[in-house]
Amino acid sequence: MRRPLDLLSKGGLGCLLALVAFALGSTVDLAGDPDAIVGPRLAPPGPEWWMGTDNLGRSMLPRVMEGVGTTLLLSCTAVLLTAAVSAAFGILAGYRGGYLNEVVLRLVEVLYSFPAIVLAVLVAAVLGPGQFAALASIVLVTIPLMTRLVRAAAVGVSQRDYVTAAVISGARLPRILGRHVLPNVAGTIAVQGTYALSVGISVEGGLSFLGFGVQPPQASLGVLIRQGGSYMIAAPWLIIGPGTVLVVAILAINVFGDGLRDRLEPRETRSLT
Amino acid sequence: MSPLLVVDRLAVDYRANGRTVRALDGADLEVAAGETVGIVGESGSGKSTLGAAIGRLLPRTARVDGGVIRVAGESLFELAPADLRRVRRERLGFVFQDPIASLDPTMRVGRQLTLVLGRGTGSGDVAAHLDRVKLDARTARSYPHELSGGMAQRVAIAMAMAGEPELLVADEPTAALDSQVREEVLDVVFSLAATTGTGIIWLSHDLAAVARRCSRVAVMYGGRVVEQGPAAEVLGRPAHPYTAALAGSAPATAARGTRLEPVPGRPPMLTGPSDGCSFAPRCAFVIDRCAHERPPAVRVGDQDVLCHRAGEPATIGQGATT
Amino acid sequence: MRLALWWSGRALSSAATLLGVSILIFAAVRMMPGGFAETILGPFATPEQKAELAARYGLDQPVFMQYWHWLTAVAGGDLGTSMISREPVSLELLARLPVTAELTILSVAAAILLGVPLGVLTAVRARPDGGAAVGRLLSGLGVSVPEFVLGSLAVFLFSRYALGLSVGGYVPVTVDPAANLRSMVLPAAVLSIFAISATARTTRDAVLGVLVEPYVTAAVARGESPWFIITRHILRNAAAPVVTLTATITAYLLGGALVVEYVFNLPGIGSYVVQAVGRRDYAVVQAGVLLAAAVFIVMNVLVDLMVGTLDPRLGVTAKGRRA
Repeated sequence: MRRPLDLLSKGGLGCLLALVAFALGSTVDLAGDPDAIVGPRLAPPGPEWWMGTDNLGRSMLPRVMEGVGTTLLLSCTAVLLTAAVSAAFGILAGYRGGYLNEVVLRLVEVLYSFPAIVLAVLVAAVLGPGQFAALASIVLVTIPLMTRLVRAAAVGVSQRDYVTAAVISGARLPRILGRHVLPNVAGTIAVQGTYALSVGISVEGGLSFLGFGVQPPQASLGVLIRQGGSYMIAAPWLIIGPGTVLVVAILAINVFGDGLRDRLEPRETRSLT
Repeated sequence: MSPLLVVDRLAVDYRANGRTVRALDGADLEVAAGETVGIVGESGSGKSTLGAAIGRLLPRTARVDGGVIRVAGESLFELAPADLRRVRRERLGFVFQDPIASLDPTMRVGRQLTLVLGRGTGSGDVAAHLDRVKLDARTARSYPHELSGGMAQRVAIAMAMAGEPELLVADEPTAALDSQVREEVLDVVFSLAATTGTGIIWLSHDLAAVARRCSRVAVMYGGRVVEQGPAAEVLGRPAHPYTAALAGSAPATAARGTRLEPVPGRPPMLTGPSDGCSFAPRCAFVIDRCAHERPPAVRVGDQDVLCHRAGEPATIGQGATT
Repeated sequence: MRLALWWSGRALSSAATLLGVSILIFAAVRMMPGGFAETILGPFATPEQKAELAARYGLDQPVFMQYWHWLTAVAGGDLGTSMISREPVSLELLARLPVTAELTILSVAAAILLGVPLGVLTAVRARPDGGAAVGRLLSGLGVSVPEFVLGSLAVFLFSRYALGLSVGGYVPVTVDPAANLRSMVLPAAVLSIFAISATARTTRDAVLGVLVEPYVTAAVARGESPWFIITRHILRNAAAPVVTLTATITAYLLGGALVVEYVFNLPGIGSYVVQAVGRRDYAVVQAGVLLAAAVFIVMNVLVDLMVGTLDPRLGVTAKGRRA
């Protein structure tokens, strides 16, 4: 029954894995120390520094590697949190319905009313700029949609015969939710998780770019693009490098997510002629 | 005079998820102008695919693997889009299973009829067309979801018949309706078609019902028309073992909703051209050559039959009692 | 009648959401470093001002009473005083509204005028095999480029190579409409890329869903032309998710405007809020966030109104809004 992923989605997944490997390279200083001053200031890309150097003469390659790592780690952690919270509340609300369902839907609706970056800015204003604000922002921004869709999927699953059978056979609630409902909404969680990851990367980037997310000297893709902005005219590689990596990361995840979704819900088409 | 519709050795495959399913495996059919033909078969026999193919309405997953369809002499699969639309507009009409879903949910019935009539092919106003299908003129103000299934199907019939087509293809038009309404809707279709001289192809799984209203019957199995001929002959003196089983199982007595299963076993799921007769595994009269030799069309009485043993008197009588 | 009932339900639900939003923002303001009085008055407030504020907002009263006073003040248009300018925040926002409104409206217009045709075209042309991958990659790229990356690149390209459109240097429309448009085209283009792509993708999905409906097959069977079927049957039936998306898009664009105004240095509400966070001018942050959420909720109500007129089945089958 299961269709294999198409070539484009596999490409997306491959790209993503390559980025993870790229980020892991920085943990062993594969391309050198990201904070070491190795050359002249604002040198264009060359054989010694493939992505050029920044305003202090630091090589951009190891800095971008560190930046990808920070961004991915932050986004992945946040999405895992989102998935856990959304799965718990979405499944419970969808299965139980009634009062709990109303409360969850209402809360989700409230959170959903804030534009992503606006909510992130509010969070940063309350928590103060920093990694933690970025993390919390991503979680709060991605929770509404995922909870909503997990809930919708759980409502459908709850009406299936095997769940009714489990209830009749006297299974306890945790067992029903864990063994019967959760596995059947896992696909939704996976697809929404990939999309949430791309939203997360974008939110981290945006917030750090505005100066409210990850703080220097730590590098993240958003931080690097913010720092590069000041020297943009003289040294465009400072934003082109990290910017390209950021776009590739988001695109790879989105394409992979589309492929996952199409595999879960294949659709027909019709010709108008 | 050449027939209005000729389907010659039509083969159609569906491809999805890397698998191929053969829906039509060399189907033949001829319909003369003004003729009423019932096509009978179980689900999976290929009758809906044949019906869709007659308007070149196959879904995108379908592929024509050979064969020709000619409507009034024009080869359907070779027509340019504009010519295809002209043939659909001027010669063909279609009525589908789900009447309410066949109407645009966002538009009042009257407006939809006006859109169909607007091209100037039809005559008269909306009320007249509603009257032709025995509907009150006030129906024009309703949205499709406000209609009963029977009313919606009448509207769909009025729209399909608005251009007075030469051939109306009705794919199980009453399957979604209550039994009381079915006969009324069929009355409307057949009497309207008779006044306009429109030929009918009625796709159904109910042999007896089809035989009551149509002049000719074609029985489909495994993507082929295994027997066709005058309705009374096919029902009364079936020449193909499968038809015999269908006729003997008296579907009129089957309760609504029960699955029609006249013969033990399930209809075949073909994945490619079949060498022999696809009914062979379920046939009580199977002989060696049935498995690997494609039966040619044989003339038995007034019927055309695809069976190696057609015409052997012993097979038929016993077949009916299976 | 049923529609009216459905309507009052929707209005009530929106009011409840707005109430929830206000509670969240009130809580956020109280949690902000510096506290409530400082948030509203700024750090340089005199004791008399603080006492006056305490009396007005009832700071000595229970929290829910405080919330009530805050809410009535906000509902009356009193959004507090900017710490930096010492002006009422409502006036400050009003002065910057034209920039943000123009930017958002231009982008929404671009999203609808370009995204909808693009989505219809790619759906109608869609094939199970072949060129679909290219389209998917392109539309995927559109929703994958964050504004701050695209904006930074645009600023670089257009200021370095003088490509004819001015970068930065906002000109009010009242001063010189042509110059205003020249200064807004680039930011609006950057802001709208995501909206156009998202609209195109949603339109494509919606149209693909309608294409397999029996009434489309019936229209094809009647010999109608593709153009006729698209304009008479498909657009209206596929419109609901696209119209609904417009509300989400507008909210998204308000967020994006924040980044784009910052990148292009436009004097709108967005860049003002960004500055305010940096300066800890929390009254402004609070007001900006509240405004964005309120616009989103109001947009949703308007969208429901439109969807209700698009689909006569609504209110009967209780076929809800966004699933």
